[in-house]
Formats: sequence, structure tokens, C-alpha cells
Amino acid sequence: MASRFHKLRARQQEREPLTAHGRINLVPLVDILTSIVFFSLLTYTGAVMTNLTAFDLALPPVVVTANTNTSGAQKDTVTLILAVGIGQKGLTVAHSNGGAPPFQRNIAGLTAESLDTLEATLKNVKQQFPDADAAMVVPDDDVAYDDIVHVLERVKLANFRKLSLTSAARSMQVASATPGGR
Amino acid sequence: MASERARALREGRRRAMFQKFGLVQLNLIPLVDTFVAIVFFSLVAATVGDLAPILSGVTLPQAKVGAAAHQELTLGVSSRPAQVIFNGRPLMSVSAAASAVSNVENQPLVVPQLYSALKTAADSIRQANGVSQNESVTTPLAIQGDKTMRYDLLQRLLQSARLAGFRTITLQVQRATEQGAAPTVTM
Repeated sequence: MASRFHKLRARQQEREPLTAHGRINLVPLVDILTSIVFFSLLTYTGAVMTNLTAFDLALPPVVVTANTNTSGAQKDTVTLILAVGIGQKGLTVAHSNGGAPPFQRNIAGLTAESLDTLEATLKNVKQQFPDADAAMVVPDDDVAYDDIVHVLERVKLANFRKLSLTSAARSMQVASATPGGR
Repeated sequence: MASERARALREGRRRAMFQKFGLVQLNLIPLVDTFVAIVFFSLVAATVGDLAPILSGVTLPQAKVGAAAHQELTLGVSSRPAQVIFNGRPLMSVSAAASAVSNVENQPLVVPQLYSALKTAADSIRQANGVSQNESVTTPLAIQGDKTMRYDLLQRLLQSARLAGFRTITLQVQRATEQGAAPTVTM
């Protein structure tokens, strides 16, 4: 008497010629999916890295190795001295105005509207002085880094490419011990 | 009838030969598929490989503009925990950095411990590039600062870096998209 297993095997063998050409081999599919999942996990962090952006600041060198020639041979190419002040209460845009009386404008607050006004003001300055390319950002000590970056962003958007961070002259010995600015 | 017999004979001979020499049929299609996937992801990994990772514990500010951030010597200021990190190594706490007293004359903002680490790094770069010890280093120094960091601390970091010889400083921030912030993953 044939067991149930043997009957099953016999039926499978009977069906085999009919299904021989219609089988789906899942092994390659599993191989491919395994590679895709593995490499996706591996490169996921890399994809996040592309979400970083950078602001380049140029610091003056500390050590001067050669004597710089400051006599009349070199032409002064600075057309405008532009400064953007950041305080807890608001922003200040000031520039040398190319020989005319210096320009200064105060913008209240550090909100998105204030930043829009700053950008518009800087774009006006850029229109008046298209050759000007440098801007100094002068934050107060207690200003948060987040606000500084927002201002740097607007300065960049107004097409001032050379950015520098400066501060007012101080007599302080130490900075505040609290990392948070707000 | 004769052709079927001939075919059966051929198949019999082929089977016998395969058994005799232990030959197996190789299906190359999965191999090719796998290699295509590997090549694709290798190219992707090579493209993003030199981009900068985000330090752990740092919540970066967001900006829509700026250049691509490449992997550099990185100085980080994290908030969880609050510490200064240089090149992946915790250097000192934020409070220690903020309250450190300068040991350089006429430079009240210098943080001695940080200055020492930066100077060592700058010196090794100078040595590797064959540059004089008196010249500034052209290799950029990236700063990844927490968004809550105050400017007085940033100023101290910048001043320490400048005196150590770094001339180009890059502030690395998170790129903001139109929909909002990109997802943050720390390494």
C-alpha cells in the first residue's frame, strides 16, 4: 500500500513535464534584493551627507612671511565696506557709501520678515555697487549661531560672496559658560 | 523517427560526458544581475564618499544656499552632551571651553587646550606639505556647531584656529529643502 507521501511524489512527477517550462526561479530575485538592501543601507548615510552645505570664511593670516608692498604700486580695489550687525533686538546694515555720507539702516527683530527686509536692503546695496563682493557680519556675543547662519544665508542670497565674521573690540577675558543662546 | 533516435543518442552521450567530467550548467544571469547592482552602488558610494558626515549630538542650523560640504578636519560643538569635538575626539566640555583663560599674550579669546590640538594638527599638515612652520595652512577647517551655540564661543574657536595657523574656515550647516529640513542622521 503506497503511503500518502509516495502518492504525492507520484503526482508531482506526473505534473513535472507540464510545469517544467513555467517554473519561476526565485533564487536570482532573492540575490538581487539582498544586494540592493545591503548597499542601500550602506549608502543611506552617504545620501544624508549630501544634505550638508557650507559657508566659507576667510580669516586673515597670522604670520606674514614676506614683506608686503603697500606703496602706491598696488591699487586699492575695495569699493565698499559693508557690515551687517546682529543683535538680540535686530539687525543693522551699514556701509561706506562710496564717499557719500555713510549709509545705515536698522531692522527690528530677527524674524523671517526681518531677514527678508535685510535681503532686500542688501540687494539694493548690490545694485548700487555691483563690484562690491565682500560683507562683514558682526554679531553680538549673545547671538545664537542659528541666527548668524540665517544672516549669512541672506548675505549670500544678495550675491555677496566673500563673507567674514568679526566682532566689536572687547576687553572681556572669558566667554559665557552657557552654550545655549536663548 | 530516425532523427528522434539520433537526438536521444546525442542527449545520452552529453549526459554521460557531463557525469564523467563532473560538469554542471552555470546560469550566469544572476551573477550578471548581482554585479550590475554592485557596480551601481559602488559608483554611488564613490560619489558621496568624500562628503562630510554630521557629528553626533550636533543639531546643525539650516540654510538653503552654500557650497557642497566636503570631508575636512572637523571641529564640532555638540549639545548632547555639550562638548567640543576635534576630528571625532571629544576635547573638552563646552563650559570649560567657554570659561578657559587664554595663555597667549594679547589674545584673550584663545582656548589653550583647543589651540594646542589645532596647532598640532596644523603642524602635521605643514610637515606633510613641506611648508614652513611660519606659514598659514591652506587646508580648510570645518566647524559643525550646534544651533544653540553662542557667538562668543564661536569667536573663541575661530580665534584659536586662526592663531594655530588655519586660514580657511568652513561653517558646515544642514541644507534646508523647500519642504523643510532634510532628515538628520548622525555618524
